[in-house]
Amino acid sequence: MKILTEHESKKLLAEYGIPVTREAVARSREDAFLLAREIGFPVAMKISSPDIAHKNAAGCVLLDAGKPDVGAAFETIMENAKKHAPNARIDGVLVQEMVPRGTEIVIGIKCDSQFGHAVMFGLGGIFVEVLDDVSFRIVPLTKQDAIEMTEEIRGHSILDGCDVESIVRTILKVSEMAAKENIFELDINPLIACAMGVVAVDARVILKG
Amino acid sequence: MLSNVLEPDSIAVIGASLNREKWGYRILDNIISGGYSGGVYPVNPNEDEVLGKMCYHSVLDLPHRVDLGIIAVPAGSVPAVLEDCGRKGVRGAVIVSAGFSEVGNRELENKVRDIARDHEMRMIGPNTFGFINTHLHLNASIIPQMPEKGGISFVTQSGTFGLALVDWAASQQMGLHLVVGVGNKADVDDSDILEHLSADRHTKTIMMYIEGIERGRRFIDVASRIRKPVIALKTGRSRAGSKAALSHTGSLAGTDRIYDGAFKQAGVIRAGTIEELFDSALALSISPPAGDGIGIISNGGGAAILAADLSEDLGLHLPDLSDDTVRMLKGVLPAIATPANPQDTAGDGSYEMFKDVTDIILSDPGINALLVIYVHAEMVDPCLPAEAVIAAREGCDKPVITSWIGGKGIETAVKRLEEDRIPNYPLPERAVVALNNLVRYKRILKKR
Repeated sequence: MKILTEHESKKLLAEYGIPVTREAVARSREDAFLLAREIGFPVAMKISSPDIAHKNAAGCVLLDAGKPDVGAAFETIMENAKKHAPNARIDGVLVQEMVPRGTEIVIGIKCDSQFGHAVMFGLGGIFVEVLDDVSFRIVPLTKQDAIEMTEEIRGHSILDGCDVESIVRTILKVSEMAAKENIFELDINPLIACAMGVVAVDARVILKG
Repeated sequence: MLSNVLEPDSIAVIGASLNREKWGYRILDNIISGGYSGGVYPVNPNEDEVLGKMCYHSVLDLPHRVDLGIIAVPAGSVPAVLEDCGRKGVRGAVIVSAGFSEVGNRELENKVRDIARDHEMRMIGPNTFGFINTHLHLNASIIPQMPEKGGISFVTQSGTFGLALVDWAASQQMGLHLVVGVGNKADVDDSDILEHLSADRHTKTIMMYIEGIERGRRFIDVASRIRKPVIALKTGRSRAGSKAALSHTGSLAGTDRIYDGAFKQAGVIRAGTIEELFDSALALSISPPAGDGIGIISNGGGAAILAADLSEDLGLHLPDLSDDTVRMLKGVLPAIATPANPQDTAGDGSYEMFKDVTDIILSDPGINALLVIYVHAEMVDPCLPAEAVIAAREGCDKPVITSWIGGKGIETAVKRLEEDRIPNYPLPERAVVALNNLVRYKRILKKR
């Protein structure tokens, strides 16, 4: 099994035309500042490591970092990561654009022993397991399947005002990806949806073998 | 082809026995006493006659080849016996014997499967109770009674529970065509049976009891092409293994949810309980599918409200009645009753009241299906409102289902409703659940 970092995961998503945040991995404090200036302040900063799954709980995520904060944020995140997981492989700190508020959605893939790849759609964010409001379909999905998924979750009215067409398109792209890539599990959480479209803000891909 | 197995012209019962305790005796006895008209040949190396029939010592000794071999010998002897069947040109086999993958003996099961494939025989089982084909009067199973003939075909994963369910269905006078225990599914699996039932002219509705599906995508592809209602109960809501998941998706993806999605893609109606499975299969087999827009009528307000509550919980829509309907109802209802949906006749269970109210509400353009509930208060003969519903339904293509509530006093009325092929249930909740599945089936049809 091979776990991709958030940044690697999003590169894969982008290959399938799924919109992702503008971002890059900074190796140093200076690097982080230059990248942040290019992306535009304020930025989100997260540890980039295949070994740290719960970045937030490890104190490895800082949001809304402005011009004067970026350097210190880099140091803090690196220190927290080392404290949390001394043996973790660390690529650096991922600097990414701050995405305006929207509806947090989760789209995922799970490889089932009987059915093969299944795609999940539901309400996302940090409470995804508590909300437990998700729906599954087996790959390959039809457009009708994807539309039904958005309609059948309990909290479907939360999607009112979102660009549902973009959500449906993303579900179908994930289905296509599941069929083509050697995926064991995948999470896009959150995918932020608003009236203008969607963007993958965090993602995690686990490849087989 | 599965028709050689499920619609055989002749059968060899291998392992036919004089011992009443043995499955080989019971199956042969069931085949003979069920009235099957094809050739039946007992096979047992140690007997010359079983149940009045000449017994052959080997399949190879049979006077001519047969369509089907039913094998009820100890597991260890199955490969040799099946090999004989293959050499004799037997076209298909049902292996009743147990002692294969269900007890960890996969090697033996694979061996048997390979023998069947080498000889191009389709094989049901091993570890199955057999099958019943009511239209051929063929009870090739260990189920003690032959169910009534009808349009429902029941596919069940074997095991004692499956057996008991079939026995129960038979005692419910549920009209069945085929009953198949798929057993360990070494060769023939659920999808193969579905393909057969899809083309089978006697099967109008397919009812399934599933513990697990192996080739999942094929099941979806086969089931989604079937132009008949398929309703299934899938057991096991376990989310075992989800704790070790590496992602949110992994942790939320219980087996049950995957099945939920798969059934939706397959256009299979998923039942939550045995009761729902049987009740809804009955409704689907004798009633047209229902559009949403449900009307409810009862002579008992409590029962009507109960039904309305559950309808709403299930997401069914109880529309307001049209102005015309309200005006017409005012002309026939007792003064203390108000036209509404659900409609309470304020205790009046007479023929006239049930006939008029049913007629009027059925004619409302917003009402697409009707539930009529009669609460027996011993004021009238319960056959009268039943006759009223039967008469009102005449010439109307909207589905009508009923719930006659009471004890011994309503038995004749219930029989009348059943004779007229109206799905009737002893409790309003059960009627609503069945009605909901008629609505779900209509949605599935629309999607196709």
